[in-house]
Amino acid sequence: MTVAPGAPGRGLSPAQGHSPTSAAPAGTGGHPGSAQAVPPRAHRLLRAEVRRHKGRVAALFLCATAAAGAQLALPAALGHTLDLLLAGGAPGGRAGGWLAVCAALTCALVVLDAAETVLTGTLAARTTARLRTALTDRLLAVSPLRAGRFAHGDLVTRCTGNAAHAGTTPGSAASALAALVTPAGGVVALVLLDPRLALVFAAGIPLLVLLLRAFSRTSAACVARYQEAQAAVAGRLVEAMAGARTIAAGGTVERERRRVLEPVARLSEHGHRTWHLQGRATAQAAVLVPFLQLAVVATGGLLLSAGQLSVGGLVAAARYAVLAAGIGTLVGQLNALVRGRTAAQRLAEVLAVPALPQGTRTPPGRAEGGADRLELRGVHASYAGEPVLRGVDLVVPGGSTVAVVGRSGAGKSLLAAVAGRLVEPDAGQVLLDGADLAGLRTAALRDTVAFAFARPVLFGGTVGDAIAAGAPARGPHGARVRAAAAAACADGFLRTLPEGYATPHDRAPLSGGEVQRLGLARALVRDPRVLILDDATSSLDTVTEHEVTRALWGGPDGAARTRLVVTHRASTAARADRTVWLDAGRVRAIAPHDRLWEDPAYRALFADDTGSGHG
Amino acid sequence: MAEAPAVHPAAGRHRRPGLVGAGLRFLARRPRVLGALAGWSLLEGAHTFALGFALARALDDGFLAGRPATGLWWLAVAAAALAVGALGMARVYRQVAALTEPLRDELVRRVVGRGLYEAVTAAVAPGGGRHTPGSGVVSRLTHQVEIARDSFAGIVMVSRSFLVTLAGAVTGLAALAPRLLLVVLPPLLAGLAVFAATLGPLARRQRAVLVADEELAGETGTMVSALRDIAACGAQETVRRTVLRRVETERRAAVSLARWGVARALALGVGGRLPVVLLLVCAPWLLRHGVSAGALAGALTYLTQALLPALQSLVHGLGGAGARLTVVIGRLREGAPAGVPLPGPSRAPAVRGGRPAPPALTLRRLTFAYGTAARPVLCGLDLTVPAGGRLAVVGPSGAGKSTLALLIAGLLRPTGGEVLLDGRPVVAGPPGAPVRAEERVLIPQEAYVFTGTVRENLCCLLPDRTAPPGDPSLLGAVVAVGAAELVDRLGGLDGQVEPASLSAGERQQLALARAWLSPAPLAVLDEATSRLDPAAEEHAERAFAERPGTLVVVAHRISSALRADRVLVLDGERTACGTHAELVERSALYRDLTAGWTAGPRV
Repeated sequence: MTVAPGAPGRGLSPAQGHSPTSAAPAGTGGHPGSAQAVPPRAHRLLRAEVRRHKGRVAALFLCATAAAGAQLALPAALGHTLDLLLAGGAPGGRAGGWLAVCAALTCALVVLDAAETVLTGTLAARTTARLRTALTDRLLAVSPLRAGRFAHGDLVTRCTGNAAHAGTTPGSAASALAALVTPAGGVVALVLLDPRLALVFAAGIPLLVLLLRAFSRTSAACVARYQEAQAAVAGRLVEAMAGARTIAAGGTVERERRRVLEPVARLSEHGHRTWHLQGRATAQAAVLVPFLQLAVVATGGLLLSAGQLSVGGLVAAARYAVLAAGIGTLVGQLNALVRGRTAAQRLAEVLAVPALPQGTRTPPGRAEGGADRLELRGVHASYAGEPVLRGVDLVVPGGSTVAVVGRSGAGKSLLAAVAGRLVEPDAGQVLLDGADLAGLRTAALRDTVAFAFARPVLFGGTVGDAIAAGAPARGPHGARVRAAAAAACADGFLRTLPEGYATPHDRAPLSGGEVQRLGLARALVRDPRVLILDDATSSLDTVTEHEVTRALWGGPDGAARTRLVVTHRASTAARADRTVWLDAGRVRAIAPHDRLWEDPAYRALFADDTGSGHG
Repeated sequence: MAEAPAVHPAAGRHRRPGLVGAGLRFLARRPRVLGALAGWSLLEGAHTFALGFALARALDDGFLAGRPATGLWWLAVAAAALAVGALGMARVYRQVAALTEPLRDELVRRVVGRGLYEAVTAAVAPGGGRHTPGSGVVSRLTHQVEIARDSFAGIVMVSRSFLVTLAGAVTGLAALAPRLLLVVLPPLLAGLAVFAATLGPLARRQRAVLVADEELAGETGTMVSALRDIAACGAQETVRRTVLRRVETERRAAVSLARWGVARALALGVGGRLPVVLLLVCAPWLLRHGVSAGALAGALTYLTQALLPALQSLVHGLGGAGARLTVVIGRLREGAPAGVPLPGPSRAPAVRGGRPAPPALTLRRLTFAYGTAARPVLCGLDLTVPAGGRLAVVGPSGAGKSTLALLIAGLLRPTGGEVLLDGRPVVAGPPGAPVRAEERVLIPQEAYVFTGTVRENLCCLLPDRTAPPGDPSLLGAVVAVGAAELVDRLGGLDGQVEPASLSAGERQQLALARAWLSPAPLAVLDEATSRLDPAAEEHAERAFAERPGTLVVVAHRISSALRADRVLVLDGERTACGTHAELVERSALYRDLTAGWTAGPRV
């Protein structure tokens, strides 16, 4: 396992290389806002990749440059050979030698071309895979709350498209010189043949630039309108799909299809116009290089008549004019480099998020006198750079239930996340039986402290895997999965699924309440000693909630579990031993629910909740 | 796709032959476009021809013969041919558009048809309507369709341009000296043969890369959306292994594809570069047989300026674009037919002969399970609701309330027993089938509101053949369900509805008004008022109670049950039905529910 290249010099000892988070360097005190100084990181990231593949990069550089050289030498050799042959030289004599040179150059071109293709492709594939690995490692090692500042789709793009673009950069850089050598060499060759040829060529270049610019201007507006029409179809389709049950019930699929497809006429119209414009522009661009070439040939012809240029020289000049006009591809090459660097910058932004540090200790077990007492001491924590929790002190005695209530935005979810170290506090400590969570091994911590959320996101292939969450769902483990599902009142509906526990969860028709129960089962499967519920029963009706709550009570060895329960429901708070009233990131009161209920401001917290079953 | 024939379910299985066949049929339906394409391409071919031929003449008759003016004149001819060729090229783009745009339209129709079909199918599953539509369909619509469009156009352009150049160059060589063809053609054909032989394996590898890319994106998407949950479960290592396996698969596919690049370089070397060397080797022989210096120079021009670049774009463009097109089109084509009418649910003929009017809704031994091995959700349910009756359905989540609503609406086929509306059994058709909307109306919890006018949104469930109702009856419905304030704010019946700017409750109000307008005698509200506040909910439910006909309410709040004539408590084997008072006596669950729902806040 290698250290992510985003932060050199802060690696871990290899001995720790087996745990899931070890790929990340132990960056301490990192702030999410610190990812601002990005460009040098992008640079460093790419330089590290070039260094890692330096053999391939060097080989590609040599191949590409040699191919450019061969390509430049060939027209001159061909021209010279042609002249010798026209002068009656036999293939055996001097002409034969030059013919051999031509053949050798051609062979070299084929071989170099092949090598360049393979090297470019494999280098890009390897670099891309490495960048993706680094990104995956980092995303899994950082606090999920810190990764939360990137939108999901955006992160997927960074891991797929952006990584692929950035992966081509070492290759593009290696062949950049070759891309420069070819057109420049073409111009030099024209000068060497006859400076007047080069002059005629140079005179045509401004024209070329003008025409290319006219093209990009006209088509942009049309493409934008095309995309608008496309977005209109997509928008209508997404709306209709969200209302699928109404459409199914109304039997109006056909009518909806017609409505969604209405903007297609516009789409087609703009599409046709785009092609027209593109055709015109391409035709203009396509004429330009041959015109330049004809001008060069005409000049060469006049020189030939005057005896100042040979037939071979004229053929070579025609070819050099084309090579010199390849200056356009240089722009493309530079664009690719810039694009690659921009993509690398986007990767570097992710890699710059510091990993959540972990320790090496195991939480004290029951045998060592552990009583599963959870304590927050002077905890300050921020979300998206904004301070949210300001000095929270809280003790959850072992085996007891503490409810957390408060208005939305009071910091309840962040408190839950900090309490189970999904994110580290900016200041203060979270202690489990007196041991700072920061000093514990992550794997051991997760076996001890489990989470359930209001909207659990399931992962793994089947609903069984989703409950097992990383542990094998089959074999002896399967019994535990079933037991956990039964405890969370999920076994019943899971058995009504088409393939039971083996139903793929993304295809299982699950309601919000059902997904919540899977989330609860997932928390129970590890038989944790401490359970943190973040509004995790909000979509359950009161009867089911009551039943599930009973299962959540009992911990390992029959002892009661320590529970921290974020809730919007008065009934849930009423069942807890004590309630923490969180207000604007501070603890306003800690007392039993019944006592707090006397305060009208406290009762107002639950005024919106009419037992609607929705959080 | 209205004119397209019904697609057989088996058609998707044999993808490749089906694809090629469909492609050829697609082209065969457009002979005029193909003709125009060939015609304009000819102009381009003329340009290729002139390029070498005019150069040869300019040298032989002009510059080498000491008549530079003639040489320049021949070059002017080449320039003119160039301009004509450019005109042809601009026109060629229009013809390519005439091929590509209809293809894109057809693909868009397919994607939309399939997206709707799948959504409608998924909607008739418990909780299915609660799923937000996947980003998959948007990607198909904007991304994959565009890839297909670009690749198809690319294939047409590249192969056409190669054929045109080949024709122009071969005629040019023949015109200069047929002997030149003896030297040039054999290696060119050999190169093409190499290319043709490797096209299949190359396309397969390209395909593997595309598939690996997609799978990687899917796996990454799962990981990224579940980051919090992965961390909370300590499942990083498992997830990491899964994702990195995809990364590795993609890398291997990409490396394998890159290695096959050797085949392209070889084809290009044999077909494009070798003829140049051969031409020089054979030059003495050619010169001896009367081939002029100008003809040799012209032949070299054909080879290096026309054939080599055309072969290059063929070799580089065709493999990649072809593979992309087959993958993407194959994916877009699989799945459901695009809106082909399916047989709808049928109703047994009415058996009425002077007997008293049958109940509006009857359930007879109704049983339903979501799979053959699955435990039934509903088991042997018997129930009757008289015409004009009001039934509330309550029960814990997962008890089958929504399933019952779907069964009543005929959107699910019972595993056992039957549902009768007005004494006639309902037979569910396949999903997406047209239903008898005039007999019952079902409003699910997720109110469907679309971008359009208020009027369009209100009328979208009305049968096609009925005349649109006048403004007074539309406004009457709006007032009845309590949506008057909302519609006023939107600017009246012709005001524009922006679904994103409405709250969930406001969307439900519009959906309720729409259902209220429906002529169907039976209305089924499946938690359709869940996002309204209790007062607004009561208003809406009273409006439906006063609406002529029968009402079934899947209750969201227990207050709905208090307003109904009868209540059905769904609870597996302990399912019970009766009035509120009876159930408080008989059903422990009902007692629990009523206690739980009312005792929550003591405000």
